[in-house]
Amino acid sequence: MGSENITNNPNHTKAIIEPEMRCLTANEEKVIVITGATSGIGLATVKEMAGRGAYVIGAGRSEERCRNAEQEVRKLYPDASVNYLTADLSSLAEVSALASNIRSRLSRDGKSAIDALVNNAGTVSSWYVSTVDGFELQFAVNHLAPFLLTHELLPLLERSQDGTVICISSGSHYRTRLHWNDIMLRKHYNTLMAYKQTKLANVMFVTELNRRLSAAGSRIKAFAVDPGLVNTDIGLKGTGGIVKKVWQLRSKGGTPPEQPARSVAYLVTEPAPRHTGQVYWKDCRPLKPSAYSRKPDAAKKLWELSERMCGIKAGSRGAGY
Amino acid sequence: MKSMVFITGASGGLGKAFAVECASRGWDLFLTDISETALSKLSTGLTNTYNIDVDHFCCDLTDFDSRTGLFEHLHEKGYAFSFLINVAGLDYEGPFAERTRNQIRTILRLNIEANLEMTHELIKLRDPARTFRIINVASLAAFYPMPVKAMYSSSKRFLLNFSRALGEELRSQDITVTALCPAGMPTTPACIEAIEAQGFAGRITTCNVGYVAAGTIDRALRGKSVYIPGTLNRMLKAVSTIVPEALVARAVGSRWSAAQCKRAAGA
Repeated sequence: MGSENITNNPNHTKAIIEPEMRCLTANEEKVIVITGATSGIGLATVKEMAGRGAYVIGAGRSEERCRNAEQEVRKLYPDASVNYLTADLSSLAEVSALASNIRSRLSRDGKSAIDALVNNAGTVSSWYVSTVDGFELQFAVNHLAPFLLTHELLPLLERSQDGTVICISSGSHYRTRLHWNDIMLRKHYNTLMAYKQTKLANVMFVTELNRRLSAAGSRIKAFAVDPGLVNTDIGLKGTGGIVKKVWQLRSKGGTPPEQPARSVAYLVTEPAPRHTGQVYWKDCRPLKPSAYSRKPDAAKKLWELSERMCGIKAGSRGAGY
Repeated sequence: MKSMVFITGASGGLGKAFAVECASRGWDLFLTDISETALSKLSTGLTNTYNIDVDHFCCDLTDFDSRTGLFEHLHEKGYAFSFLINVAGLDYEGPFAERTRNQIRTILRLNIEANLEMTHELIKLRDPARTFRIINVASLAAFYPMPVKAMYSSSKRFLLNFSRALGEELRSQDITVTALCPAGMPTTPACIEAIEAQGFAGRITTCNVGYVAAGTIDRALRGKSVYIPGTLNRMLKAVSTIVPEALVARAVGSRWSAAQCKRAAGA
């Protein structure tokens, strides 16, 4: 890890907290894929990027919500290049199908590369629910789906001059660890513990991805974004009782989802963050992620486990790692 | 050849939890359910993650011919089993008078007939070198006469009685039978909705399905005849044994119709 005291330097913080936001010119039109793009941070990011003239593919679970979101964006930006695709990211087969739908949509529109993949889709579940593949729901949607989708799309990201992978993580990744002997918490499931673990897994995935990409000489950079406490309804879907009530109270005090969307836009469009060596960003400035997330052996172990779970043969895809 | 664990209803919520639990213990699996797609996705996930052998066969357990096809497949492959977990079962909740003849036949065939036949045939395919363990998924409903779930609770009562009797009968042959009697479990969006509709009472009697599967396997390995997950549920069962049945039926009935009204209002 690079400079450790970035967060303690007020001048440095001030200098980048309000980064200059500019529109993209026609010949630097970015191609961006965003999951969970029908509400919350995902939808705000679609709007932010569409407003800057990017070509955006959004993914959502419900066809109806995808249609509504697309109309909402077009109302704001009538000339925007926005497409929505549907996929239930709790199923690995649907993650792969989404990747191939993205590939064919891009080739239909004459695009040969993806500049940024924003793994935003996330879920919370009050109960232990297992997915079609036999994985715990939060672990599958919040960790395995981004892992597999990134693998599937790496060849297209590799073709960009400055390919970027972003995972929406959370400050809840601090003060937790991976429970290796029961990683999906089958026996002692706890909503928050499971959620925190997946957000830690996001940071570890991004860190390990950078390590492997730079070893392979790739230009792609990966970042985790800490959205802070945002006023979205993530804590209301698939939950009940106390979790629902607490989230209703907490999220009222949160920031609007446009704030993390600006951080995502900053990481995607500005060259500066790429040269910092920093992986974890909040409000357009780097923060130090948790000590656990920086353990190389744990990140490697999680990577190999995720490969096995997703049925990926080591070194079969992407930049030769 | 290593002996396998046989699971019916394997792609449902509890069935999947049993499959994952057994896979995590490194046991080879044979899975059956009604959907080929669901079975093959689950098999792939388990094979990749736990490095075990998984075979599956799509079967409609309510259908005699379909079951015959399953048994022929097992004989052809020459599999031997050390565990049978009968999970497949269903419930048509609602007033009995409003059920259809087809529903009446299906619940009997799946909850009772299929269970008996699977048990009967799988005993013949046991691995002679090992203890053979049978788990029948009954329900907490097996302990009470339950209005609005009359067919379901009675079918589960049947399984509970059958399991206890069979366990005694087969004790000398190194076979154990365990009846699992859980309260409602949050396995599908519909189940979660039903639990939420019962309010606080629903939430506190509910155990997570992964915990139930792990606990049940532990009990079966110890040869326990009945397992009720959750301390509160064990207390409820204890109360039901000292209170007269007519009173229990009335109390359960008023609770369920309240929950039903709430769901109907929400729908």
